[in-house]
Amino acid sequence: MKEPVSIRSAERKAFQTTVADGLWDVFIGCFLLEFAIAPLLSRSMGDFWSAFIFLPFFGLTYLLIHLVRRNVVAPRIGTFKHGKERQKKLMVFTILMVVLNLVIFLTGLIAYFLFDKFSSGFLMAAILGISILVGFCIAAYFLEYPRLYAYGSMIMAAPLVGEWLYESHGASHHGYPIVFGFSSVLMILAGLVTFIRLLKDHPVLEVPDGE
Amino acid sequence: MVNEMPTPHPLADIDPIIHAPARLMILTYLYVVESADYIFIMNMTGLTWGNLATHLNKLEEAGYIEILKTFKGKKPHSSLRMTESGRTAFQNYKQTMQQVLEGLQD
Repeated sequence: MKEPVSIRSAERKAFQTTVADGLWDVFIGCFLLEFAIAPLLSRSMGDFWSAFIFLPFFGLTYLLIHLVRRNVVAPRIGTFKHGKERQKKLMVFTILMVVLNLVIFLTGLIAYFLFDKFSSGFLMAAILGISILVGFCIAAYFLEYPRLYAYGSMIMAAPLVGEWLYESHGASHHGYPIVFGFSSVLMILAGLVTFIRLLKDHPVLEVPDGE
Repeated sequence: MVNEMPTPHPLADIDPIIHAPARLMILTYLYVVESADYIFIMNMTGLTWGNLATHLNKLEEAGYIEILKTFKGKKPHSSLRMTESGRTAFQNYKQTMQQVLEGLQD
């Protein structure tokens, strides 16, 4: 079946080339790896350093993805600047994400200082999970990338499943290394498959020098 | 006796520059973005470089698009942008086609 001809579908098709290359999936997966690995390092390095050590890793991952996008994806897909409507939508998305991140940060602070007052880790796990799900749903809607709904659901479930593994099966570190490790590997694999498919489907397009 | 001029058929108003399928595809994508490079347009439309260059020339001559030459690092980089007159012409074309197609309803 041929795709419908409409201004909206043309704009959507153009926009999706910027998010559907699989590299965002890889980046999110790498980000989540912190939740899997940091608890394992915290015993030897302490809470702060076990989390801090990931900052250069995130920076390197981001830089690598930027370079791959510029040198591998752009010669195949090309580049463009978003139209005015899309720019407005992305601005709203950015504002919403900043607000949500502030809420998550404040929730984290409250959890840190009042942790002992909660009788069970489930409550904090649920608050964290729901905040993350909301963030992913907002991103999926604004970026028109349905896979993010699945990622959000998976990450929301991760702390709860981890807590259950911890309380009923004695999994170490609240089960985080298992559940976040599994989720992040799944995301990285999904991203890599998408990226390899893109490389296969879109050979480098030649244009004369200087064009 | 006054000779009345016949009312022109809406089809006569269709812009022949835009009406060619390849140029219509190019303009549709340039209409929804601010600017794009050659590779992006080739990728979206499926046109080859030779084909694209021919149609871009016609669109540029008509004043519907402009080619911006810049540098990305040390490499020259060209991007395409729809001009204001291009946008107006595209909107008029869309309106005319809608009228024509509505007139063709069963």
